[in-house]
Amino acid sequence: MPDPRQPAELLPAAASGDQSAWNELEARFGPRMWAVARACGLNEPDAADAVQGAWLRLLEHLHDISNPAGVGAWLATTTRREALLLIRKAKPGPAPFDVTHDPDPESAVLEADGNRMLWKTVSTLKEPCRSLLTLVASDLGSRQVAVRLGLPIGSVGPTRARCLEKLRTLISLQETVQ
Amino acid sequence: MIDDEYFLAALRLASGHDPVPAYVSTAARQAFALRVPHAVTALPTGYTAARGVRGAEGPQLVRFVTEGLTFDLEVTIGDGLIDVAGQVSPPPGEGCHVDVRTPHLTLTRPVATTGQFAATGLPPGWLSVVCHRPGHAPVQTRWVRVRP
Repeated sequence: MPDPRQPAELLPAAASGDQSAWNELEARFGPRMWAVARACGLNEPDAADAVQGAWLRLLEHLHDISNPAGVGAWLATTTRREALLLIRKAKPGPAPFDVTHDPDPESAVLEADGNRMLWKTVSTLKEPCRSLLTLVASDLGSRQVAVRLGLPIGSVGPTRARCLEKLRTLISLQETVQ
Repeated sequence: MIDDEYFLAALRLASGHDPVPAYVSTAARQAFALRVPHAVTALPTGYTAARGVRGAEGPQLVRFVTEGLTFDLEVTIGDGLIDVAGQVSPPPGEGCHVDVRTPHLTLTRPVATTGQFAATGLPPGWLSVVCHRPGHAPVQTRWVRVRP
């Protein structure tokens, strides 16, 4: 098997009409885009629309992505933006946050081998964070998480936020070390 | 707080509990066929619900503008399908046609010398129109999502 092509090669290849390069981009980043759309709270049909929308945006921008090596982060950001626009359209009224200016400090987490590192880091957390994040990742609602961990339901949200904050600190420490 | 969504996405992804459905991957790969080489993209300048009625079944008006060409699209959803009536201006003259596109169906229609065109019975979802004029690069509208 030849080495897989890097995103920085795949993007210009796709721009010049190479379907196989496009397919490789999809194989590489499609699952992350799906996870991003679902993490925004979209149901399956809406998440499918958001992901499809992000691919169509990439088609529009094949020639003007300023950093081809970062196309994965670009796709994740664009998926999130489409997901938020979709949520905003479903709920009348002003958007809860600005979707046009999006610094995306965390998108690197979804890059490359970030997932393995993420779980390794989760496994170093103390309880209840380790179990809580594992349960949250498997799509359990707050009530079920509360029952499984023996927490009052009202504390699941704040605990989750605190655990994610710890995780974020650990990850940024690791990135500094690397 | 929204940054947490990225962590949750990564956690969910790595946990393997919610894999991307096969039809989503297939649709993404097939979208490549919608690439229009050398196309110029016209950007939307705003949406208007016709007659200002929120949530009514009336048509949506969308204008897309690029240098030298403007699209005005009137999009109507009826019986679960989309009808598009459009105007390109300035009128493009003879020999112009449009592709009214969705990921699953593209309808090619001639453009009248007045700049008008119409296409009916498209599936809801993402929509884009490409205008082909002799002697010019094709102009595509940005993709917009149209759902009932």
